[in-house]
Amino acid sequence: MRRADWTAVLLAAVLLCLSACGGESQPAARHSVTLVAKSTQTEFWLSVFAGAEAAAAEYNLDLTTIGPATEEDYEAQNRMIQQAVEGGTEALVFSAIDFTRNAPAIDAAAQSGVHIVSIDSGVDSSQVSTYIGTDNYAAGRMAAQAALEQVEGPLRVGLVNYDEGTANGQERERGVLDALSECGRATVAGEVTTLVDAAQAQADTAWLLSQNPDINLLLAFNEPTSVGAAQAVEALGLEDEVFLVGFDSNVATIEGLQSGSVDALIVQNPYAMGYLGVESAYRLLAGQGEGLEPMVDTSTQIVSRSNLFTLDSQKALFAFEQSSH
Amino acid sequence: MNRKRRGLPTTTILVAVVVGVVAIILCCCILLFLNRYRSAMVLSARTSTAQAVSQVSNTVGSYLQGMEQAMSQVELAMGEEPDSRDRLLSSFLRFRPDVVAITSYSESGELLDCWSLGREPRESILQNLSFDPVRAQASDGPYMTAPHVESIFENYYPWVVTMTAPLEAGGGAAWVSLDLSFSSISSYINNVGIGQRGYCFLMDRDGTIVYHPQQRLLYAGLKSEDTSSLAALADGTYADDTVIYSLAGVAGDEWRVVGISYVDELVNQNVKAMLRLSVAMAAVILAASLLTSWLLSHLLGRPLRGLAAAMERFESDADHFAYRPVGGTREVRELSSSFGHMVVRIQQLMSTVREEEVNLRKTELKALQAQINPHFLYNTLDSIAWMCEQGRSADAVSMVHALARLFRISISRGHELIPIAREIEHAESYLQIQKYRYKNRFTYEFLVDPDCLDYYCNKITLQPIIENAITHGLELMVDEGHITVQICQDGGDILFRVRDNGVGMNQEQVDAILAQRPGDNAGIGIRNVDDRLKIYFGRGYGLHITSELDVGTCVEIRMPKVRGDEHAES
Repeated sequence: MRRADWTAVLLAAVLLCLSACGGESQPAARHSVTLVAKSTQTEFWLSVFAGAEAAAAEYNLDLTTIGPATEEDYEAQNRMIQQAVEGGTEALVFSAIDFTRNAPAIDAAAQSGVHIVSIDSGVDSSQVSTYIGTDNYAAGRMAAQAALEQVEGPLRVGLVNYDEGTANGQERERGVLDALSECGRATVAGEVTTLVDAAQAQADTAWLLSQNPDINLLLAFNEPTSVGAAQAVEALGLEDEVFLVGFDSNVATIEGLQSGSVDALIVQNPYAMGYLGVESAYRLLAGQGEGLEPMVDTSTQIVSRSNLFTLDSQKALFAFEQSSH
Repeated sequence: MNRKRRGLPTTTILVAVVVGVVAIILCCCILLFLNRYRSAMVLSARTSTAQAVSQVSNTVGSYLQGMEQAMSQVELAMGEEPDSRDRLLSSFLRFRPDVVAITSYSESGELLDCWSLGREPRESILQNLSFDPVRAQASDGPYMTAPHVESIFENYYPWVVTMTAPLEAGGGAAWVSLDLSFSSISSYINNVGIGQRGYCFLMDRDGTIVYHPQQRLLYAGLKSEDTSSLAALADGTYADDTVIYSLAGVAGDEWRVVGISYVDELVNQNVKAMLRLSVAMAAVILAASLLTSWLLSHLLGRPLRGLAAAMERFESDADHFAYRPVGGTREVRELSSSFGHMVVRIQQLMSTVREEEVNLRKTELKALQAQINPHFLYNTLDSIAWMCEQGRSADAVSMVHALARLFRISISRGHELIPIAREIEHAESYLQIQKYRYKNRFTYEFLVDPDCLDYYCNKITLQPIIENAITHGLELMVDEGHITVQICQDGGDILFRVRDNGVGMNQEQVDAILAQRPGDNAGIGIRNVDDRLKIYFGRGYGLHITSELDVGTCVEIRMPKVRGDEHAES
């Protein structure tokens, strides 16, 4: 009788094993990843989304891209994070509007087991698995360097920055200021903190220029502020007097490069940020997280009037997917 | 019990053998199958990669062909008068929305005219990527550029491929360029998927990438294509351990399409899925074979074990074994019924043998009774005659009475078992006669537990023992002998003890008496008594002799308490 029992147990084990095998052979459910951006409007972010979607298609992920209406609304970002976690997302690809005030939401998300990948702009959380984006300090130095190479003589510098809580803008500014103070011939004439909105940036820049007419070097730290600064310079007719260094590419700033209102652009690689961010999220979800670097530098490039139409610049600046017009 | 533990039971062996064989066969089949499956999958992955590449190549080829056709139309229009030329070109642009711009250039490379739907070129063009005078000069006929950005419009920078053709001299313009939107091709290539992650890209004959779906990653150095070694390969499909490459040239152009797909996802994942499926199937088959063999062995094994157990019981107690047939397959049932027949036959034989044995002893007893009695009778009669001569008529009368009693009890109407009281009477009659004959050379006494008197015993049990005590123990003695006959209970048994104080025997003599065959000596042998007890009551009963030289002999007879003639004449 004992043997019969033993055999029955064995049979049961085999059947269990079978059911396990059967369960395993079903295709794995798609992982869901949410990309919380700072904006859903600017060309920079559209390019990030393009990269993210390419990676999502490649790795068969269920990708949701969301972002607040304005690039100051960190609370909306926090709500989006919370909603995404409640909606069952498994990984967050996140660009923080506010370095510190986005951190609690990210910590809470990580607490509930969500993997965190930071792109473009960092957040003050130890739960971030990897940061993918520009080395913003180096990019800031690069911007200052581009100006120093082109402009001779003493420099009166104007800075157009945005939200003081945002890490990337502050890092860039720090890079700029360090490089400028090292060269010894530059002084900061004035700084304005504006909204991440071209019209507001234009007004604030115009005000800055009117307050400090001696400014001959102007730096703007992201896409909308660059557009606004370029429009202000053009409107005031100061193309020759002011050397403007901006960040990121936009049709308006490229026009500015050709017309002279913009003199150099620090172009990041938003496509790579989106692509690599989602790819990293996939690797974390697939259990390959050990190999991830804590920080991945997506390249930056200086585009000026002289190299605007080189093949590399074309590929960096102009999206193939351009469907407007 | 011991026998059961020796060696494995059939069930286990059968199950192990069947499952083992099935498992080995399954393993071989799975390995063979997976091997074949994998090579088939690799082949199909190569085929699908090659197909995707040739499709892209065809699409790009027809795109370029379409461009050449468009160019010939443009060239035709350029030969017309300015008015009809503008009309023709604007209707051409309406029909071909993928044409971004048509531009014409002077001998020195200046932009003369631009036709574009709803757009005008900017006033100062920083750099016109659609026309390169150096290359135009160097080229004999029409030529085509790699994809580039259209740079002559404000706020509009689509990617285009430009075809430039020289115009016949005298028309004013020396060259005409046609800018064709590249987005249809780029989005087509972007959407080409080979498996999940496979893709196609365009490169020229030198290995320079013309278009890559992930070119932003490439230029950022986050991804790389080994285009120089790919450029060295001829058209065809190549596979290494992880990647399948397929190359195809675009007809009539120096572009080539490269398709990249991953063995891991196209082949390995399928192979893994198939492996899982095979393992699951193997598990099902193994479970089925396990179940089947287990059932089968139980079908055979259990009745066989039942049969074996029955045989064992039969072996240990053949007399009281009652056989119950075992069910099961036909063979087992046949075996079972054979065994049943055998059991019946053996039990018949055994009872026959016992009956024969009993009969033999009875016959022997009767023969011996017939044999000794005359001899004993003559002597006794002589003694009686002598007593009469002596005038001891009273002694003679008691002698005759004793003799008569002896014979009456001996015969006992043919019964084997008689009450113990009768047996005592018989023994006393014999002792009485012998005491006369031996002239009171010995004395005797009976110590009888009165409770024993009602039980039965075999007749003529005590007489042979007493006879032996007289002839072997007392006859040779000088002093007066004494015989004690004791009858008592010992638990469920009755003990007869005949003790004398004669010369005694050594062990050899004891053994000889017990081995004595009837007929060696006149009289019913002690052995006959022992045999009868054992036949009647079993091995645990019978005689036990203890003797010591010059001290005496004690014969103990053990038999069960029997009431009535229960065992009689079985």
